[in-house]
Formats: sequence, C-alpha cells, structure tokens
Amino acid sequence: MSFFGFDPRGPQDRGHPAQAPGFGSAPDPFASISQNQGLGQEDDDAIDFDDTYDGLGDQLQEADDDFNDDTFGGGGATTKSIGKDFDFYGSTSKVTDAINEEALRFNRQQPPSNPPVASSSPPKHASKAFRTGYEAYKNPGYIPELQVDASLWGTGPQKFAKDYGSKQSSREVGPSQQRSSSGVPTKKMMSLEEVEAAMRSQPKRPSPGPAPQQLAQASGPFVMPQMKQQAPQSARPQQAQMPYPQQMPPTQHETGRAVRPGDLAQAPISIQQRPQPGHQMPRATQVSNNELPTRSSPAAQAPQVAPAPPQILQRGHNTPQQAPETQASPQPRQILQNPNRQSAQLAPPLPEQPLSMQKQQRAPPPGQNGAQVPVPIIYHPSQIMHLSDEERNAYLVEEAKRAKRNHKIFLLSKGNGLMTPQDKNFITRIQLQQLMTATGNVNEQDPDTSLSEDFYYQVYNQIENRPRQNPQQPLSNFAQTYLFRTGGRQGGMGKRQRGGDSHVQRMEQQVQRAVEAAKAKPKNKQLVIEGSLGKISFSNAKTPKPLLNIKRHDSSNVTTQQSSKKTQAVLSTTDRKAILKNIEAVYSTLMRMEDHDRRLPPPPSEDSEPAAVQQVMEWQQAFQELNQKLWMDLKVTEPILPDSAILHPFIAFLSYPKGKKAVPRIFNHIDENQRLTILTMIIVHLDILDVIRQAQPGAQPSPMSREQVDLFLQAVMPSLFSYVTEAPLNIVIGLLGLVTERVNLSAVARTRVGLEVLTMLLSRAAIVKATEATDDQTWDQWLGIYNRFFDLLEPLLGEVFPASVNAGQDQYVWQFLAATGSGANPEQQQRLVLAVKDRVMETLQQSKTLPPEMASQRRGNVNLFMQAIGLDVDLLDG
Amino acid sequence: MADAGDGDTAAVSEPLDLVRLSLDEIVFVRLRGDRELKGRLHAYDSHCNLVLGEVEETIYVVEDDDEEEETVKTIKKQSEMLFVRGDSVVLISPQAAS
Repeated sequence: MSFFGFDPRGPQDRGHPAQAPGFGSAPDPFASISQNQGLGQEDDDAIDFDDTYDGLGDQLQEADDDFNDDTFGGGGATTKSIGKDFDFYGSTSKVTDAINEEALRFNRQQPPSNPPVASSSPPKHASKAFRTGYEAYKNPGYIPELQVDASLWGTGPQKFAKDYGSKQSSREVGPSQQRSSSGVPTKKMMSLEEVEAAMRSQPKRPSPGPAPQQLAQASGPFVMPQMKQQAPQSARPQQAQMPYPQQMPPTQHETGRAVRPGDLAQAPISIQQRPQPGHQMPRATQVSNNELPTRSSPAAQAPQVAPAPPQILQRGHNTPQQAPETQASPQPRQILQNPNRQSAQLAPPLPEQPLSMQKQQRAPPPGQNGAQVPVPIIYHPSQIMHLSDEERNAYLVEEAKRAKRNHKIFLLSKGNGLMTPQDKNFITRIQLQQLMTATGNVNEQDPDTSLSEDFYYQVYNQIENRPRQNPQQPLSNFAQTYLFRTGGRQGGMGKRQRGGDSHVQRMEQQVQRAVEAAKAKPKNKQLVIEGSLGKISFSNAKTPKPLLNIKRHDSSNVTTQQSSKKTQAVLSTTDRKAILKNIEAVYSTLMRMEDHDRRLPPPPSEDSEPAAVQQVMEWQQAFQELNQKLWMDLKVTEPILPDSAILHPFIAFLSYPKGKKAVPRIFNHIDENQRLTILTMIIVHLDILDVIRQAQPGAQPSPMSREQVDLFLQAVMPSLFSYVTEAPLNIVIGLLGLVTERVNLSAVARTRVGLEVLTMLLSRAAIVKATEATDDQTWDQWLGIYNRFFDLLEPLLGEVFPASVNAGQDQYVWQFLAATGSGANPEQQQRLVLAVKDRVMETLQQSKTLPPEMASQRRGNVNLFMQAIGLDVDLLDG
Repeated sequence: MADAGDGDTAAVSEPLDLVRLSLDEIVFVRLRGDRELKGRLHAYDSHCNLVLGEVEETIYVVEDDDEEEETVKTIKKQSEMLFVRGDSVVLISPQAAS
C-alpha cells in the first residue's frame, strides 16, 4: 500500500476482499440486493479499467495527434523550439491550464476510467468491514434511497439510453455530448496533477490523518463536518462524503468538480451524478467504492466511447433499482437535495450546513463554481415548487421510520442464516416427534392407550359431550387438528413456501411411520451381548428398568397353588390385606367396566350393517365377562358360614370406606338379581355390619365409626333404597323374614343404619299396600312376617332412640316409627304409642324451649309418627 | 399373603401395588428430615408422590440445652390436604385401622 493508502496493484490483482464475507459466512438475505450491486460494481470496476485502457487509448491517441500541431505549433516547430530556446514552458503553458482542468474534471467525472483512480479504490475495499447492508443506518443523518430521477432532470432519455447500452444515443443527448469531447481527452491525460488529485482524494479513508474529520462528520453534527469540508474544499471536498465510509470514491468526483471552475455544461450533469452516488450508496449500503465513481460516470460521462461498456454493465445492475426508486419516492428526495445544493452552491459554504448528507456532498463545490449556480436553478425550480416544508418534513419522518424499521429488521436478522434448512428441518422433526408422543399417534387404534395417556381429558370429554361414545375419536381430532395447524402455519407463510409445506407433510408422514414402526416392533427390553454373562436392560418412563429379574412364572404357580388351597381351606379371610386386595380388584374391574361403557357402540337399528351388530354383540359379551369378573371380585356369593368367626368377604369389603364408596358404582354395572343378592347379603349380615356393630349406643362411638355410618348412609343406602323402592312385595317379605330370623334385631334396632334399613323395608310394604294391588295371600304372608317383626321389636322400642332428647338426632327414629306404625294394626299401633309415649312427650316438651324453627322441626318429626298412626301432635298439646 | 385367585387385576406384582392397598386408608409416612405424616392416602404414583388427606405432620427437632443435653422437640401440624413429593418419602406404612 502506498503512502496515500492507494493500492498500487491493479484491480485484477485484488484478491477476495479480506473483510468481505467469506464463503463460510452465512449470507445475509437482506443484504443480497445491495451485495449484488456491490459485486456488479466490482466487476465493472475491473472491466472499466481494461476497457478504458484499450478503447480510449486508441481514440485519444488519434485525437491528440490531430491537435498536436495546433497545440505545439506544428510538429516541426516543436522540435525546433526544443532545439532553439528550450522554452518548453512557453509553448506548453497554454496547455497546462487546460490539462489541469481536464485532469480534475476527469477525476471527478470518470474516476474508473482513470487507471490510478481505479487502482486506488482497492484499499478502501480492504478497509471495508463486512457489509451487512445496514451500515448506512448507523449514520444518524442518513437518508436512504436518495435517487435521482433522471426524467425530472431532463436527462432521463440519456440515462436510459445508456442503460440499454447504446452509447451513441446517449451521446446525442445534449449535455452529454459536451462532455464527450472533454471526457475523451481526460482518459489519456494522466498528468501529475491528476494523479495527485486522485491520490489526495483517496487517502481520506485509509490514511489516519484525515480520519478525525471523517469521524467528526460521521458521528457529530453535520454542521461541523461541513464547515471543515468547505474549508479545504477547494482542494478536496471529499470529506463531505465521509459519513458514508464506503463511499469515499465519490469524493473524487467532487474534487474534480470543485477544482474545475466554469464547467457550465457539466454542472447539471454533475449534479445529477452526485445525487446518484449519494443515494445509491446509502440505499445499497454495500455499494463499493468503485461503484460510486462508476455510477457517477454513467450519467456524466456517458458520451465517452471507451468507458461505455463498463457503464453499461453497471447500469444493468443499477437501473433496476434506480428505476423503481425514482418512481416511488425519488421526487421528494431530489427536491430535498436540490434546495440544499442551491443553498450550498449559491451561498457561501458555511450557511449550508442545515440538513442532510447530500448537502455535505454538495457543499464542497459551492465556492468555486459560478457555473454550477445556474444549474440548480435550471433544473430544480419545478421540483422545489413541489416541495413544501410540510412535505419535506413528512418525507423526513417517513424516512426516519423506514430507517428505524430497517434497523430493527437488521437487528432481528442477525441470526439469519445461522441454521441451514436442514437444521431447521431437523428441529421441526424433533418437535413433531415430541408432539406425536405427547398426543399419541393419530392412527392409534388402541383406545386404552390413548385413554391412559390423558385419562382426565377423556373423562371430561365424556362428561361434557355425552354423544361421543368413542373415546378414541376426540383424541384423534385433537391430535389431528394440532398437527394440521402446524402444517397450516407453514403453508400460510406464502405460496413460495409451498416446498416447505409439502416438506412438513412429508415429515409428518415420516414421523407417523416411524412411530408406528417403533410401536410395532416388539420392544427388546434386554440386550444380551453374545459371549457375555450379563444382560443389559433398557428402561424408559413406561417400563422402568427391572432391577429384580424374578421369573414370574414360578411365583404365579406358587400363588395359584396357595390360593387354590386357601379357597378350599379358608374361604374367606379376614386378613386385612386380602380384603384390601379384593377391594382393589373390584376397583380395577369397575374401572374397566366404566371404560367399557365408554365404548358402547350405538344401538343397532334394523338396517344397520352386520358389522355394527357384530360390534354390539361383542360389546355385550365383553360386558358380561367383566360383569362376571366383578361379581367374582365382590365375593358376594361366597358361602355364608353362620357360626364362623370369620367375616364374610363381602361384609368385610363393606367395612372399608372405599368398599362402601364402590357400592354405587357397582350397582351401575350389575343386574337386578345381583343387586338383590347384594341386598340380601347385607340384610343377612345386618347385625354384623361394621356400621351397626360399632355404632351401638352403649359404646362411645368413635369419630371414625360415625364417619362410617355417614358414609354408609350416603353411599350404600341410596343404592339399596333405589332397588327396594321398585322391589315387589314378596321380596320385601323375604328380606324382612331374614331380619326376623337371622339377625340380632336388638343390635340392629339400636343403630341408625339398622333402623333406616328397616324403615326402608317397612315403608316399601306400606307403599305397595297403598298403591298396588296385591293378592291376599302375599298380603297375609306380609302380615305374618310383620307381626312377628313387631313382636320382636316391641321390647326394643324404648332403646331405639339415641341417647338424649336434647341431641335432636332422632328424626330417623320417628321415620322408622312412622313406617312401623303405618303398617301396624290398631292394636299394634296402641302398643307402639305406649312404648314411645314418654319420648313423644319429652320431645314436645323440649321443643317448647327451643327457638321456633327447631321446635317446629322437632314437632314435625314427632308428628310424622303421630300422623302415621292417625294422630296429631296438636291433640297432645291440648 | 398372596391371593391371586382372581386374575391379575389385583395381583401384587410390584411394591407399589402394596401401596395401592392402602388407598383411602390411613397411612403412616416417614419423610426425610425427621418428619412423619399420618393421613389418609388419596393418591400416589410411581415416584411415591403422595396426596394425603387429614394429615397430621410431626416434625422432630433436636435442640441443644444449656447443659448441652439434647432434647427432642416435636412440632405437630395439621393439614387438610397435602401433596408429598416422592423424593422425600422414606417409608409408607399402612396404619392398622383403629
């Protein structure tokens, strides 16, 4: 690198920019556009150089030859003069100014065509940081997409013509032609001044010296930078452009322009050019240094023959972008630019500082060019007219918003490209897999599995939505909708994502297949490595690793032997654990039955398909099997051993809270006979039911037993009652007969449960008598049983009441007495009254001391009984 | 006592099946950190997470006296319902019904 920081190597020598994105780095999708542009520019640059060199050289050569005589006063003269007076200066001095002019103008207008300039660009490349395409947004004053609308400037045709690569057409356009003449010579002349100018213009960037200025401009307020720029400006306005670090090259144009005074013809063009570089750079952010020069050249230097090709190339890149821009928002921008320029150019540099970057760019030229002054006036007026302050402000606000948004996008897009599509697919696949395992396979056919996966959802669904008999159905729907939604979201991203969509579908299928395969494959729980002594067992959440590998075969044999022995020897065991086990067995069966209920197929109609009928048949068969199993589990039919000290298994079953709680559920799944059997069983063992044994008034009832009683009344009694209320009289007779014959009535009668059971039976008989026609024989039978019962009961009547009158817990007793009295004959009723008369009086007496509500309740209880025997409490009061 | 006469539903095939027998029964649970629970077992799972009802919790606290004698204090708490995380469960014992 040279002292000035320009790279002596030719463009071709430049390798891949060190700081440019490498092959390994992820592409920045947002930068793609600008990147392309940048690349294009680089290419152009290279091409530019060559083309310039070859084509122009030839042409220029001729031109020079033509004018040689004019310049030097003829070939002979030149030689002569050399020989004569050595006054080189005298003859050449005339030309020097022109040469200088040319050089500067050339620099400004056609940096690419100028070999040194072109070569100088590389260092900038090197210094360029990796371009994300958003650098420009870091500049606070940045206004993106300031694009010249060629048409507005009246140069449109020219530009477009160039775009299409027709040099001639472009040449023909007015302003360009002028330049063509000037441009041609520039190529050839690489004067010292020229080179110097080019070098000076470039060092800004790479060389540390100028840096402060740049920094100040970039970060600080614009005013300051402008000032600075303007000061040195005559020499190098480039600083103005510093804010765009990458855009250094444009400075060259400016310099050229600044130096060159009185370039009226070019002035307009240069103005046009300016905006272009300025706009595009920010916009394209990635625009390379080379690009800028090239850019400017197309507009200004179109006429040049040799450079044309590169320009064409450039345009190919640029035009697409420029065109839309110009149409979209360009006008306001241009307008903005224009005023700035005007002010900058017309007024002294200092005042101009106000607004935007472009101003800065413009600023440099101001002082020098009287010629440029007119330019803005000529082209801008119409635009300025369009531009009101409000519009300008609105535009600025708009731009600020856009910049903000772009910046946001930029921030968000930092992670872009980190994952390859394969990575994403991989992740998606994992997620899908998890989804599948979480919700179960859509094609899962085993309802049990799905049910066990989310039992509560199933149950809830069943409760909420009865008609859905098949628990499988909701789950599938659930899973499917879930899956579909996933797919849908992908698909919804746009039609161009169709590929992704189908991919997701494919993946879903894959996952399904994988899951199915996994399920179909018998799970090897153990891995036996050949030649090794041990086994490696696998475990997962559902099948934990078996630490103890006991052969179940043996143990099950043993247990069956034991159990068979036991069933013969000890038919029922009071062993607590055995009872608990029975209860658990019942619950297991119950749950299976409830499950089974859920799967009840729709009842077959006449025209239903055989398969449906078959389904129903199967369901019923399964139901029967389960029912039998439940019945066996209950052990209701275990033989009753009257004198056995061992509790009947079913009664033992009932002695546990969970046993009691199971009764209602059991009653749902058994038929009438089985219910009767259970009821009979309970009646037969009435006196040894825990709720009766442990609730004898003598002993202080523990809270536990009281709970048991309550539980029994809540859980068991309703089931029994629901059966009894529909039982025919003969069954009631049979049950009451059992009570009188096999049960210790005194124990039963002194407990609430006992009395309620009796009440249940007696009231049913009373209702039957009142509502249904019964044949005399049955009725006689009932009366016989009842009389017997009454005889047994009468001595106990004094003890049926719970401890104290004051407790007020005797409603059930009155109900019982009422039930008894309603079935009794007058003589029995009288005996009944006599037996409980004291209690009646006490209760009534006590009720008078109570608050009205409770009193009336008590009296109501008593009256229940009194009315059953044809009396009324009010009679007693009198 | 194994009574597997009635098929597999209630067969005791793994330790936790024994815990199942104590469902809805009063159980005694010893926990790490010198705590004991006594309550009705409502639910459990394979991690020995438990849900207990009407729980009486006993915490044993050892305190040093002035004379460096260690005395054990017990703190009792009553809870209507308790979820016990399984990793603290040391022992579950069926409490013979009173």
